[in-house]
Amino acid sequence: MKDISRSVPKEDHEEKVSGRALYVSDIQMADMHYAKTVRADRPHARIRNIRLPELPEGYVVVDHHDIPGANHVNMIFEDWPVFADSVVRHVGEPIMLVCGKDKQIIQSICDEIVIEYEDLEPVFDLQESVVHKSFQKGDAAAAFARADQVVERVYETGYQEQAYIEPQGFVGYLEGEKKVTLIGSIQCPYYVKNAVIKTLACDPEDVRVIQAAVGGAFGGKEEFPSLIGCQLAVAVHKLKKPIKIIYEREEDMIVTTKRHPSKTTMQAALDSAGRVLAIKAHVALDAGAYIGLSGVVLSRAMLAVTSAYTIDHLDVKGDVYLTHTVPNGAFRGFGAPQMIFAIDMFMHHLAKHLGKDPYQFRKAHQAKQGDRTATSGIFRDPILMDAMVEKATSMSDYHRKQKDYASPDVYRGIGMSWFLHGCGFTGSGESDHIKAKVRLRKSDTDHVYVLVAAVDMGQGAKTTLKKVVVETLGVPYNQVTFDDPDTDAVPDSGPTVASRTAMIVGGLLAQAAQTLKETWKRGETQVVEKTYRQPEFVIWDEKTLRGDAYPAYSWGVNIVEVSVSPVTYEVKVEKIWSVYDVGKALDERIVLGQADGGIAQGVAYGYLEVMRHHGGHIQHKNMTDYIIPTAVDMAPTETVIFDNPYALGPYGAKGVGELSLVGGAPAVAMAIEQAIGRPIQKIPATPEMIMELMRDETH
Amino acid sequence: MKPIKFILNDQPVEAHTNPSRRLLDVLRGDYGLTGSKEGCGEGECGACSVLLDGYAVNSCILPLASVEGRHVTTIEGYAKTQRFAVVKAAMGDEGGSQCGICTPGFMIAIESLLKKNPKPSEQEIRTGLAGNLCRCTGYNMIVKAVQKAAKVGEGLW
Amino acid sequence: MVRHVIPSSYREALVHLRDGSFHIVAGGTDIMLKYRNAADLPPRFERDVLYVLNLDELKYIHVEEGVWRIGALTAYETLLDHPEIPDVFKSAWIDIGGPGLRHVATLAGNIANASPAADGIMPLYLYDAQVVLESCAGSRTLPIDAVITGPKQTAIGPQEMIREIIVPKHDFDVATWVKVGTRKADAISKVSFCGAIKVESGVIKDLRLTLGSVAPTVIRARDLEATVKGITLTALEARLDALLDAYAARIRPIDDQRSTKHYRQQVARNLIEDFLKQQIRKG
Repeated sequence: MKDISRSVPKEDHEEKVSGRALYVSDIQMADMHYAKTVRADRPHARIRNIRLPELPEGYVVVDHHDIPGANHVNMIFEDWPVFADSVVRHVGEPIMLVCGKDKQIIQSICDEIVIEYEDLEPVFDLQESVVHKSFQKGDAAAAFARADQVVERVYETGYQEQAYIEPQGFVGYLEGEKKVTLIGSIQCPYYVKNAVIKTLACDPEDVRVIQAAVGGAFGGKEEFPSLIGCQLAVAVHKLKKPIKIIYEREEDMIVTTKRHPSKTTMQAALDSAGRVLAIKAHVALDAGAYIGLSGVVLSRAMLAVTSAYTIDHLDVKGDVYLTHTVPNGAFRGFGAPQMIFAIDMFMHHLAKHLGKDPYQFRKAHQAKQGDRTATSGIFRDPILMDAMVEKATSMSDYHRKQKDYASPDVYRGIGMSWFLHGCGFTGSGESDHIKAKVRLRKSDTDHVYVLVAAVDMGQGAKTTLKKVVVETLGVPYNQVTFDDPDTDAVPDSGPTVASRTAMIVGGLLAQAAQTLKETWKRGETQVVEKTYRQPEFVIWDEKTLRGDAYPAYSWGVNIVEVSVSPVTYEVKVEKIWSVYDVGKALDERIVLGQADGGIAQGVAYGYLEVMRHHGGHIQHKNMTDYIIPTAVDMAPTETVIFDNPYALGPYGAKGVGELSLVGGAPAVAMAIEQAIGRPIQKIPATPEMIMELMRDETH
Repeated sequence: MKPIKFILNDQPVEAHTNPSRRLLDVLRGDYGLTGSKEGCGEGECGACSVLLDGYAVNSCILPLASVEGRHVTTIEGYAKTQRFAVVKAAMGDEGGSQCGICTPGFMIAIESLLKKNPKPSEQEIRTGLAGNLCRCTGYNMIVKAVQKAAKVGEGLW
Repeated sequence: MVRHVIPSSYREALVHLRDGSFHIVAGGTDIMLKYRNAADLPPRFERDVLYVLNLDELKYIHVEEGVWRIGALTAYETLLDHPEIPDVFKSAWIDIGGPGLRHVATLAGNIANASPAADGIMPLYLYDAQVVLESCAGSRTLPIDAVITGPKQTAIGPQEMIREIIVPKHDFDVATWVKVGTRKADAISKVSFCGAIKVESGVIKDLRLTLGSVAPTVIRARDLEATVKGITLTALEARLDALLDAYAARIRPIDDQRSTKHYRQQVARNLIEDFLKQQIRKG
């Protein structure tokens, strides 16, 4: 059998290089109308009055009065209004849509709308906890009681903006009297559909959601598009015309969800030999104005508390706080990047505190097969970290550089992170909430259609999922078609999130393809469906956060080398080395592409990407001020993929998408720390911060 | 008002419209050439890149009036060339496209770079692509694709 | 209703300027943003617009005795390709945006826009460049720092446009450019620096320093430069701290979304110090 990892041409390469792929803003329809959102310009206020200009014929405004169903967006926690009613809670909160045919007239109407507010006191500090979670492992209290010493450090992370190059957007239109169809730049067709059903209070068959080509998402098009979809569906019903809504860059950056800023307090109980007996951790996430997905992001952050280490006694707490700022949400890594930054830096700092070699210290705590996970589950599968770390250190010449760069006048540093990422939804999420279903349909010409809701947003889902089907069936590539999902045609195979697509959806497709192959009847129409069933060994208690949080884990090692200018305090990333265990790469080139893109985002999160708000107003709200790396900033990479097939993944595959991001920040932060000889406890480590550290100014 | 006359993808055209409009809007809206994308609207991301007399420019900040009498080539026009075919293949081999929204702009930037410098060093490639932002790939696969295209397509530029 | 005029010659452009009130659009990379509208709507220009990008008469680089003359509409990329333009100019200019921007953006546009963060104009201050302004009434030649009078303010009259930039040749021993941007390319400067020096037998014949993004206009303190002309590098070393303090007093940066006042102040000082110490070390 040939190696599944061998790359095949990317399914959508041709249409993408030639500009033929249709993104939502490219879609043309007869009689197209447009919508623009009228938004709050203050963080917290009561709306006293709205004065509208006289609307020309064919122009409407759409607000909360027009919603037939629930005025909140259906997501994990239902507190996020589709349109603000009496109170606005963040700058940019949507109040109404102005819709009509001519963009100039829409703009003029928007310019003339006057909203009178009564300002209310905004809250920007983390003071109002709205979600609290905790779990224990072993007996942390006893361990702290017998500790030789206790060390505490606080770690902070800032916003990160997904900065997909294609801003958010939808086209919506009516089919017949009441069925609304939405074509969007989305990760989760069924999230949008289910949200719209609740907002319209309509039957499921009256909402159809189709995915357009998606120009990058990274979590930013996970839950947020449901909000736009609900608004547009209401508008389409009111205006009864096709309507296109495309966010402008600044609008997108001001109002869409970002990675949660966090503050994590870590305490370690150390024994006299300098081993970590126990950790107490508290992670605080700033949710912004609405909770939305933040409780789940909090879970993933907490579950990553010991990352790739085994610590026997844990006391882990977390809180989500509301502030009058833009709501935060899903972003590749989903809470894990914040925690993995904290724990990896903490282990490094503990070693230094103890006067030990950080590499040896971390090695001594590294998780091994059979160990108990943070949530007292079991690492069942082989863990290859010894070999992976060895590979990473040898290809980067890590140990020699560690020594050479210890001298204060070289201003160079090398940092290493190691980490894991749980694949798929947390705990029993897949079986309790998602219940993924996939379908293969074979026509009477023996052509096979892959029918899943998985979205190709650049990560190559079309190529890899189709490949799983093609290789399992043993048919030529041109005998299988995978179109962008349309909820009228595909079953709900779940959202395209959480590094679940290859492992869960791919796994189900492999099963379906196997069944189809075994029952193949030439010239006959056949349909095969498979529904997710949780592996029997996965036992999880959502209340106590105890058990197997994930069915499988992907593992990684990142090494980053930097130089820092003592004149300008700027960081230059010199090179990045990575080693990953993703079970089995379904397509090597695609996995390497995910690796490169993920580490670029992860490293930039650690030192480059700055976003702050001032009084609730986002200060870095365009591509000139929110800085993502260019080709000149990005360092060369060297990446090695280890095979470690996972029994329940298709061809052994586990999750890929998020793994390559989560370790970037601690690796670059440790490298900077070495280069400047000062500890880093906060990211992004900007030149301004590095200056203060290097000059020993109080921060 | 007089129409703006220019050569669009090798065809002479006359645009009867407000000359201050952004070239991007005219290309996408009036000519249906949607391969050029709006990523930022401020000349920062390069997704809107087109060739003006053979070299890349940001069509989101270029007024239509400025192309009077000149050659504009969009990705749709460039896609018909042999050079495009070489770059396309190299981008495919090296994994240079992911979500694809920046990709037409990169294709234009790569053409412009190779036209000026058919044998660029790695650093020259990075500098040559610095006006194009990509959030998916981390660029290295695109850099390798340019190196490969320059080699495979030697003599074409 | 805004009028849009595309002159077919430079002379015609000047006549329009004499007879009306215009925004001048060259590469347009600044002005199109300044008057930007919602996507897919024309810019919100406040006056009639004169589009001059295609006036090929003003696209030239003349190398003459003692000077280069740069036509106002020569794009940065064209300047970068010219074999005789000194490296300090090229290293500053290649730090402007990306190639797509530089294929249309012009030095004259940068001068007219008068941004204190503009990289392109920094070496002009270093070289004491002169700017030729012309109208139907005639032409006048002003030093660069007399043309740019404040942030977004210039001495260019409503009927004038920039015709060319005259750059005197210098034989500096060293002329360097440092950009401290928000990233390594396609970035706006937080602080920028040019330094040039000419030393003969250990005596400083000429020393010039310019700083960008740290005051309302580019800083070039000729009075401070004069204090070190004619002294030895060794004497400079002794006076270094005093000189740095004197420069620090001229630096008046601001806090903004890109950086802090404190950082700009410190880095500007470091850049001067680093440049001067390198020269002292070389002897």
